[in-house]
Amino acid sequence: MITAEWKPIEEMVGYLRGHKKVLVIGCATCVAECAAGGEREVETLAPLLAMAMQNDGNPIEVKSATLERQCEPEFLEAIAEAAAEADAIVSVACGIGMQLVAERYADTPLYPGVNTTSLSIREEPGLWTSRCAACGDCVLGFTFGLCPVARCAKSLQNGPCGGTRTNGMCEINEDTPCIWRLIVERATARGRLEDLTKVRPPKNWSNSPAGGPKRMLREDLRS
Amino acid sequence: MANNSTADFQPQITLLYCRQSLAAEVKPVQGNRAGDGFSVRLVLLPCSSKVQLPHLMRLLEQGSDGLQIAACPEKACQHLVGSNRAEKRIKRGRELLEQVGMGAERLGLDRGAGLRLDDLMEMAGQRAEAVRALGPNPMKGV
Repeated sequence: MITAEWKPIEEMVGYLRGHKKVLVIGCATCVAECAAGGEREVETLAPLLAMAMQNDGNPIEVKSATLERQCEPEFLEAIAEAAAEADAIVSVACGIGMQLVAERYADTPLYPGVNTTSLSIREEPGLWTSRCAACGDCVLGFTFGLCPVARCAKSLQNGPCGGTRTNGMCEINEDTPCIWRLIVERATARGRLEDLTKVRPPKNWSNSPAGGPKRMLREDLRS
Repeated sequence: MANNSTADFQPQITLLYCRQSLAAEVKPVQGNRAGDGFSVRLVLLPCSSKVQLPHLMRLLEQGSDGLQIAACPEKACQHLVGSNRAEKRIKRGRELLEQVGMGAERLGLDRGAGLRLDDLMEMAGQRAEAVRALGPNPMKGV
């Protein structure tokens, strides 16, 4: 899922000064799963913003809604009336959903209520960890299903580096396992450790986010 | 009735309590009660874990001066982890209230078993005292 985290409320207050009618909108998919932008979080944030703005000396009227998906145009129509009445929108969806709302309701300023942070799994209740970096050239077939792009602090393609702790954790973060240690362990368990010594073609980083904006075109699906 | 001037401030407390925390012979009570220098609205819950942040924040947005949760002792929760979940939510709620300038003390949780109405009123009174220093809820009457 796409994960996100609330921005500091102080930052949101800064955005909302001068506005009077604010619509807070969430998304019931990814950001709901990571407890940042689902209905529960929207209905928590909306009164908090009202209180924060009241204490800031800039009282606002806050309305709220949670869309089924904020990243699909069809679902945005559900807030057409509320958006028309608002003079600002705070979205707690991912950056994709936010931009679609900003495009659909271009006359109303949109402010982010979250920072979009990663493509993660819920590892255990209350803990999300990265699994994918959308690098555009998946290497999971070589690395026994463990991603060294998203899960190695250096995105090493041939690891481990010399910084692995004696307990197998990463030198950057003691709570993060060295992914190359796990890759080696999985390769060993499958009796295929030798596979890791094979020379692979260079990874195509030009298809990663560093390669510029993506445009994926499928002629067979176009009308 | 509450007064918005600080000198005459009589906090309006909402107390949400777990049914299981009551003494067996005590009949659950709900509704408004007057305390010494405060008023309280008693709300019965099947378990303290039923408290959710949206509900708590709406209560404060609607003008309640303080919220008190009465939960069972840690090892006595009928749902095993219900009161612990409530406690974690309250901790998060207090952090958020501090961030928005409302003050963490507007929200609190205490544990108890075999509680009677007097005990609930005492809890509410303690929350009222904690809230008194913060003054009336700025959202009152908004």
